[in-house]
Amino acid sequence: MKKTIKYILIFTSILFFTACEDVVQIKLDEGSKLFVIDAFVTNMRSTQIIRVVTNDTYFSNREAPPVSDAQVILKDLTAQKQFTFIYAGNGNYAYTISANDTIAKPNHQYELNVTIDGTTYTSLTTQKRPAGLDSVQAIYNDGSGGFGPPGKSDYNCLLWAKDKVDAVSDYYWIKTFRNDTLLGASTDLNLSIDGTNGPVTDLPVDSTVFTPPIVFLGFNRFFPGSSCKVEIHSIAKETYYFFVQAASQINNGGLFATTPENVKTNIVTPSGAKTKAIGWFNMSSVASQKIVIPK
Amino acid sequence: MRSVLFLFLFCVTLKGLAQEKLVIDGYVKDSKNGESIIGATIYKVGSNLGATSNEYGFYSLTLPKGPHTIAVSLIGFRTYTFSINLEKSITKNFELSEEGTNLDEVVVSAEAEDKNVKSVEMSVAKLDIKQINKIPALLGEVDVIRAIQLLPGVTTVGEGASGFNVRGGNIDQNLILLDEAPVYNSSHLFGFFSVFNPDAVKDVKLIKGGIPSQYGGRVSSILDVRMKEGNSKRPAVTGGVGTIFSRLSIEAPIIKDKASFIIAGRRSYLDALVKPFAKSTSPIKNADFYFYDLTAKLNYRINDKNTVFASGYLGRDIFGATAFKFNWGNTTATTRWNHIFNKKLFLNTTAFYSNYNYILSFGTNNGQAFNWNSNIVNYSFKPDFTLYYNSKNTIRFGAQALYYDFLPYNATGTFLDGSKASFKADRRYGVEYSAYIGNEQKLLPRLTIEYGLRVSMYNYLGKGKAYYFRDTIPNTTRPLNETRTYAAGKLIKDYINPEPRFSANYVVNSFSSVKVSYNRMAQYIQLISNTAASTPLDVYTIASNNLKPLIADQGSVGYFRNFKQNMFETSVELYYKYLKNQLDYIDNADLFINPTVENQLIQGLGRAYGSEFYVKKNKGKLQGWVAYTLSKTQRLVRGISNDNWFLSRYDRTHVLNTSLNYDITKNLNVSANFVYLTGVPGTFPNSKVQIQNLNIPYNTDGIRNNYRIPAYHRMDVGLTYNVNMEKHWKRKANRRSFYRRVFGFETEGIQSPRPIFSNLVKNHEMSYVLSVYNVYNRRNPFSIYFRTKAGEPNQTEAVRFSIVGSFVPAITYNFKF
Repeated sequence: MKKTIKYILIFTSILFFTACEDVVQIKLDEGSKLFVIDAFVTNMRSTQIIRVVTNDTYFSNREAPPVSDAQVILKDLTAQKQFTFIYAGNGNYAYTISANDTIAKPNHQYELNVTIDGTTYTSLTTQKRPAGLDSVQAIYNDGSGGFGPPGKSDYNCLLWAKDKVDAVSDYYWIKTFRNDTLLGASTDLNLSIDGTNGPVTDLPVDSTVFTPPIVFLGFNRFFPGSSCKVEIHSIAKETYYFFVQAASQINNGGLFATTPENVKTNIVTPSGAKTKAIGWFNMSSVASQKIVIPK
Repeated sequence: MRSVLFLFLFCVTLKGLAQEKLVIDGYVKDSKNGESIIGATIYKVGSNLGATSNEYGFYSLTLPKGPHTIAVSLIGFRTYTFSINLEKSITKNFELSEEGTNLDEVVVSAEAEDKNVKSVEMSVAKLDIKQINKIPALLGEVDVIRAIQLLPGVTTVGEGASGFNVRGGNIDQNLILLDEAPVYNSSHLFGFFSVFNPDAVKDVKLIKGGIPSQYGGRVSSILDVRMKEGNSKRPAVTGGVGTIFSRLSIEAPIIKDKASFIIAGRRSYLDALVKPFAKSTSPIKNADFYFYDLTAKLNYRINDKNTVFASGYLGRDIFGATAFKFNWGNTTATTRWNHIFNKKLFLNTTAFYSNYNYILSFGTNNGQAFNWNSNIVNYSFKPDFTLYYNSKNTIRFGAQALYYDFLPYNATGTFLDGSKASFKADRRYGVEYSAYIGNEQKLLPRLTIEYGLRVSMYNYLGKGKAYYFRDTIPNTTRPLNETRTYAAGKLIKDYINPEPRFSANYVVNSFSSVKVSYNRMAQYIQLISNTAASTPLDVYTIASNNLKPLIADQGSVGYFRNFKQNMFETSVELYYKYLKNQLDYIDNADLFINPTVENQLIQGLGRAYGSEFYVKKNKGKLQGWVAYTLSKTQRLVRGISNDNWFLSRYDRTHVLNTSLNYDITKNLNVSANFVYLTGVPGTFPNSKVQIQNLNIPYNTDGIRNNYRIPAYHRMDVGLTYNVNMEKHWKRKANRRSFYRRVFGFETEGIQSPRPIFSNLVKNHEMSYVLSVYNVYNRRNPFSIYFRTKAGEPNQTEAVRFSIVGSFVPAITYNFKF
């Protein structure tokens, strides 16, 4: 919704004036050191990764500097189990679960403990229920319309999924992979409340079937032979707003830019800690499908 | 209240009893078109006895019995002087004629043109529409709001930003009055053009400080725009063809010297020019993009004691394409009645209606749709009395009731299966009552003071829900505690604010004075906007149980001095302003279509201080001004910027404004502007954090507005050529005789101006305006922002965003007959 409004405002404002943008060199101060915990754990039967890194200068143009000496423990408070993540290099802490089990279970409560230099940073969250994913459909675009350049044929991938209609609002993060590569730019962030693009906040909107524009899996084009994989992550409400805020900060330009602000964190730094930790912890249920467009 | 009035009258009575006085009253008008003249000085030559014509051209001057030489003067007009032996009170109307452009014609009067020195007013800027017309403008479109941005203390965050900022105030802190009705969005096309049609505007006055008691409701400034009444002498047509819009206005007497009207319209026509050339597949073909406005006014002088006015404005910006519709606009309607009870008591009663609304809708062709609208409606009634008590006291008193009725949002979503979801906020109601009294008193021959009190009372009323929130960590959403439902007209919350006003002028000598002023202002309505430039979708909100009224105290002191017989006006002013309950927003605030939007808002403190230096040349071939402002504007809001004072987005340390024009010949005028403004502050990151492969900018210090974007500077030039109509007609006649000689016939119908048009032709004026905005082609940054490079997830860069990326030439053709 916010995005739609922004696009309309931008569209109307450029009708008359062609605003211009130039990349410029700016000297920025260096911020103090922070630990950044990136903990998005899913119920998928694969190796789960939690990243512990530090912040970096804004123009560093490299992957974030890793923190290699952290202890990362994930606790299932409901089942009273705990999982110790082992350092796998490059800031990644990994846990591989046996083939027929998952770490994350719906409605279980989880606690994350990350200990660095004797300080334990914590976070709490609850796993959400999964969405009902039906199928992914590839639709041929003959080049006469759609999102592609005119005259060029391609495929658009369409998501068919259902949201449970009840009093509980579900928040989804829909990740699209083209040829197994995540379309991961901030503009590709596809977020949904109850399968709609959420007329703003907390309104009692339910749609059984996911609706446009959520169902368009990236405005990217697919071609014969490409694969399209979709993952619907059921996320916590707070995680949804974390992404909304992050997306608005990453590309915050134009006439109607908002005042820049720091993204929120759900990682708790204990009082007296020498270094603050920020980041996000979320446990999600994932529904996934993959299709390959025939040649 | 009544006792205050009595006390007032008592004080002034003591002084007034001494000797028998007589009164001259009447109206001051422009001899050319019968328009009433605002601010003309009527004074007894060689004394400090004088009066000023009010907003309707009325004056009342009290003088002792006996012979007097009286002068009526105003800059730009020839001073009219006459002698009279006053035996009884009389009514005398004056008609002033304009000064010629020729310097020799100027009658230099030593006394009346030093009004800036003598008047108790300070922090006031007046722009005559003739002056505004000479300023080179963006795309050649003469614009009131952009012209006042060249005055000291007035800035904007950048091109394309709507509104203007006065002494560090928000755009919603300016009361913009068009014939006394408030205008909520003063811009067309975001902020590029203002809604005021220059052809219909008579007078523009901006009051930044020392605000008299008859004004209230906004804390930073009053922009009082008065429309022309319409030529009461003869029909006249004014118009222009410009790059963006075409203008046409028609004015005429209905009954000569008694009733007249003006109707003026503008429409942008880029769409009309572009569409025929667009391909049928182009989105432009089905797109709407234009704006228009219509201004009309009617006045009728019933008799010597009663005049009525009706005026209205209707403007709209319209954008649309197949997938969406978006339009917004203001409508205002004002009726006024001027009544002269007796020579000393003047009444103006105003009733107005004002409505600002917008509609946004978008949909897909499979039936999904979203419609959203919002509006704010005002009704007001205000009687305003001026009592010209004696030559030393002019008392102004009155009252106002202002009713707010607004719809924060009404949204409807239609889904694929045809089902609808509706989100409609309750309409919200409030009434602002105020009563005021003020006296301008000549206390000593050299000392004039103006003191007054305005008391404003505000009621937040049902019908509707009032939300009550619990306190929490500052800068986070306050949780809802309770919702109470109120019946229609039921009081939910009330506020009362006494607003004292004071100003004084001590005349040091005939060419210099020292002025001081203080005012408190209360504001019960604020704009919710957390974007760099305000969008047309931003919603005003009224004070409520959660939102306290904005209160500002401002003090200023100034030294005014004229040089070379008022050829140069100069002034230095210092001001300090302190604001309470200034609106700010929590992080990640959700301001649209949110029933509990009030828990996304936080209120804090603001302060602004600075000094304004101003030199203006009023006469001669070279005219114009240079203004320099040094200032600072800060805010303090709990939970933001570590609870420390931070720079406001409107903070501009140095501002230099220069606007000059020079008459090369009688018909050729060249003008130029140069502006320099320190860049606005911005919040820049000092690091980035990577979460889920997103590079998120982060500021570890948490300080807001920790950097500044580069300075803004720009130069514009303009050239106005007035066609010499005598030569023009002579040329045409020559051409005709040429045709006659060569071809032996005359082109039909143009032999000589027909009698019916001869009057029009005699008054025919034509001019061409060539202007270049941003002459030296500077890309002034509107903002600097940070982003991840497209396709390279680890690469981040800083981007300069400019609205006007090059110089903008334009040509405009104006006519008048």
